[in-house]
Amino acid sequence: MMFRRKLLAVFALTVFFSVTAIALLVLALTRHAFETSENQRTAALVAQFQREFNRQGEDIARGVGAIASSEAVGRMATALSATGGDSAGYFDLAQSLAENHQLDFLELVNWRGIIISSAQWPAKFGYPVNGFENLAAANDQNAFLMQEELQDSTPLGVFAVKTSSAGEHPVYVIGGRRLDRTFLSAIDLPVGMRAMLYQNRGDHFSSDWLLDPAGVVDRTRPPEKFAALIEAVRQSHAEMTAKLQWSSDQADDELFRAIPLWGAGKGHTLLGILLIGSSQRSYVELKRHIRDSALLAGGSGVVLAILLSSWVAARVTRPVEQLALAAQAVASGDWNTRVEVDGDDEFSQLADSFNRMTTELLSQKERLVQTERVAAWRELARRLAHELKNPLFPLQLTVENLIRARMQSPQQFDEVFRESSQTLLAEIANLKAIIGRFSEFSKMPQPQLQPVNVNEILRGVAQLFQAQFTAPGREAIECRLELDETVGMIAADPELLHRALANLVLNAMDAMPNGGTLTLRSRRRDGRVIVEVADTGTGLTPEECERVFTPYYTSKQHGTGLGLAIVQSVVSDHGGKISVQSEAGRGTAFVIELPSNSEAMKGSANNDSSPRDQVSG
Amino acid sequence: MKHFVWRWLAASSLLLACAGHAETRPQYGGTLHIAVHVAPATLDPTDVAQSDSFVGRSITPLIFDTLVNTDDAGRAQPALAASWQAAPGNTRWQFQIRRGVRFHDGTLLTADTAAVFLRIAHPSWKIGSDGYLLSIECDSPDFDLLGELSLPQNAIAKKNTDRSVGTGPFYIVDWLPGKKLTLAANEDYWGGRPFLDGIEIEMGKSFRDQMNALDLGRAELVEIVPEQMRQISQEGRQVVTSSPVELLALQFTRDAQTPEDKSLREALALSVDRASIRSVLLQGAGQPTAGILPNWMSGYAFVFSTDADLERARHVREQVRPIPNWTLGYDGRDPLERLLAERIALNAKDAGLSLQPVALQTASPAATDMRLTEITLASTDTWIALDQVAASVGIPLPSTKTRSVEDLYAAEQAMLATQKIIPLFHLPICYAAAPSLQHWNLRADGTLNLTNAWLGSGKP
Repeated sequence: MMFRRKLLAVFALTVFFSVTAIALLVLALTRHAFETSENQRTAALVAQFQREFNRQGEDIARGVGAIASSEAVGRMATALSATGGDSAGYFDLAQSLAENHQLDFLELVNWRGIIISSAQWPAKFGYPVNGFENLAAANDQNAFLMQEELQDSTPLGVFAVKTSSAGEHPVYVIGGRRLDRTFLSAIDLPVGMRAMLYQNRGDHFSSDWLLDPAGVVDRTRPPEKFAALIEAVRQSHAEMTAKLQWSSDQADDELFRAIPLWGAGKGHTLLGILLIGSSQRSYVELKRHIRDSALLAGGSGVVLAILLSSWVAARVTRPVEQLALAAQAVASGDWNTRVEVDGDDEFSQLADSFNRMTTELLSQKERLVQTERVAAWRELARRLAHELKNPLFPLQLTVENLIRARMQSPQQFDEVFRESSQTLLAEIANLKAIIGRFSEFSKMPQPQLQPVNVNEILRGVAQLFQAQFTAPGREAIECRLELDETVGMIAADPELLHRALANLVLNAMDAMPNGGTLTLRSRRRDGRVIVEVADTGTGLTPEECERVFTPYYTSKQHGTGLGLAIVQSVVSDHGGKISVQSEAGRGTAFVIELPSNSEAMKGSANNDSSPRDQVSG
Repeated sequence: MKHFVWRWLAASSLLLACAGHAETRPQYGGTLHIAVHVAPATLDPTDVAQSDSFVGRSITPLIFDTLVNTDDAGRAQPALAASWQAAPGNTRWQFQIRRGVRFHDGTLLTADTAAVFLRIAHPSWKIGSDGYLLSIECDSPDFDLLGELSLPQNAIAKKNTDRSVGTGPFYIVDWLPGKKLTLAANEDYWGGRPFLDGIEIEMGKSFRDQMNALDLGRAELVEIVPEQMRQISQEGRQVVTSSPVELLALQFTRDAQTPEDKSLREALALSVDRASIRSVLLQGAGQPTAGILPNWMSGYAFVFSTDADLERARHVREQVRPIPNWTLGYDGRDPLERLLAERIALNAKDAGLSLQPVALQTASPAATDMRLTEITLASTDTWIALDQVAASVGIPLPSTKTRSVEDLYAAEQAMLATQKIIPLFHLPICYAAAPSLQHWNLRADGTLNLTNAWLGSGKP
């Protein structure tokens, strides 16, 4: 991945994760704040319910007390004492008293606990009152919660008990009000909250006992959803909280806290469960708003980060890219490449260093070239001196012999002259040959490419030297051909290629004065043809291997040092390359890689076919 | 007529002259105002579908006469028939129609006009007429013919185009069905002109409105419910009650189908605490009963035990499984019925029965398993009363050869054995009157007798 893209990704991810982290943090804080607020609201509502309960209780207690101390009840208590308990005339008294004091429940009970008059169930006269262990003790209690059994229902109510002691025996007044929708409606609920009451009746949850102040059956919110929560409270007898999902929309969810309501009468039983619900809508909507904002901010941030990162990355990476391009140019041989230096930062310093490095490298290269050139000239001079010195010495001896013969024995001069002139001519011819070889190297022709079968050329070379391999007076050389017949044709100059391979074979023969094995191989690799000429001769040292292709360098006594230089020149002119692998004492192998030159081969084929086409045409 | 007017004026003058000395002397004139709870739609005495017996019991005798009347002991007394004679075997009867009696439209009553009415009312009877002699022939001996003829639905009425006219002491001046009836004295009444000039009956009044009207002097006579009788008496008002002639009972909608059903009904009958109900809800009024006829009529009602026996009720109930959920219908407009129904349900619950009171807004009790019913005994004649209850409940009255008490008891026993009805109480009919209303009475069967009533000053 490009440095700029990496930098871009790092910037974008940094922004994205930063925004996400902030959004999550805000969400967590919001949730915490909501939970705190909700707990506070629920606690306030519970406290309000308790206050309302207490207020109603006090109101009821006042009303019941007023009834107990009323003239009508006092007269009844007195009359009951006087007439021996005949209470028939008072069986409907409770109804009028309850109506006057706005009580839903009122029972007048004699000292034996028998109902004299019942407002809520007038027909219950004569029956014992239920729900009390000790009526006299209940007189001292505050208002309490109790279930009142009626003809067709068993409502919950807030009750108080007061005693009238006007007669010989006390008369108990038990009064109360229903804990019903009206009661629940009296609780001032904050927006988004609602309170319901479940009457704990029967063994299992029943929606019939769920009291909703709204009083409207909402089909989207079936009361059966409360069953699990109600059952949990009934089992645990402790406050419970549960979230109820009314639909797939989380905003419709409600968090309900269920608070058990205990009766103060006989048994201290679980009479009801107060359900305080809090809508999650505002919280969910806020959460959505935060999420949307975070997404918008995150998206915008990422886009801005990309744009900004692009700009910053471009600024940051431009010197690096310039450096990279310059380095590539240098690698491709353009030593004159320069990087623009702008500013005084690390990149500028790096660019300046690069420029200085390339300048130094160029300088060193020039010095190296110059040094090599001098060395080459020196080698050339040494070779020329060596080559020329050899024929010059016989020439000098021959001329000195002529002079000596002229002076010492003129009669033999002619014979000496004749012999010396022959020697001089021979040596001059030798000089010409030497000069010709140098001239020939300087005039290496450009290859004329044509379809060539490399294997055929290798076979031709082997055939050419076959007689010399087994010539008398020297150890025989075994020539092996390991040719891959699938190498096919390549575009090459067969004459130059033949000459180059012949040079390599000659070198190999020179390297095996004691005989050995010469191996000629061909194969195809990666679309190129590999030709290998290997011997089992004395081998080359690593230094010799490095310099073996240098013109005029030779490790032989009588070599010109141009043979392998010519081979390298031919191979290079064909777009190939040559390398040497050698190990001292075990032989040397020259490996030539030649391209197929298919384009040139097609062109050559067309040129070749055109005349034929013309002939045939 | 002229002669009568002069005599009436003379008598009035004499009575007015004596008025300052004593209230015991009758006074002519004045309009009696009555307020009642019922609101009848018709005054036709032959309309047996009338839901309330007030019309037949108290209004019909003011407008119409029967051939014979019955006294408190159930004995027949002459009315439009001055005398009668039964042939041996009680299959043929001859009645001598009272002479000089005229309908309110002036038509003279003869045996023919009476026969026309009776033939319509009793198609099975063979009725003959000859002048003032009316004969009735029955297919079988009819021991109760006189009692039957004394029933309000057998009052002699003459059908005119707009309404029926009778021969009673008062005639209809104005009639707003269900609201108000205005009567005026029949100057030519065969029993003598009533002291009152007229009677105005306000109908459909609640008991509270009636008491208010009485207190404010807008009514001189009002109905009261039995449970208010004690309180109203204690308040010093003039209260008159009849003998207990209204049967309050639980009437099952369907016949008992199985022995288990009968057992449950028996358990219900045993669970009802009649004594507490009478003491508290009825405020001592009425008589607890387990029989159909009141003791004052039959003489043997005491043998039917009215005591609640919860232990036995539970035992009987425990023989039956499962226990049905009964519904008990009651008149939702009647607070006493509501209390009674709830109390009976409570008693039933104590016995392990399930009884749900249901307020009936209409008169159709078919939707409930049973209902509280009030049946006013139509006659002081025991057989007629029993027959009427049987017809009302839907039980066939067993046929008997004689009209002995033993047969009556057996018939009543047979009716009770059907478990179609559980008698609870016999209640009296009660009225409260202003002190100014004099010389009126309530017969044992609850019939208002205002023929000789008169209005005084109200001072003692």
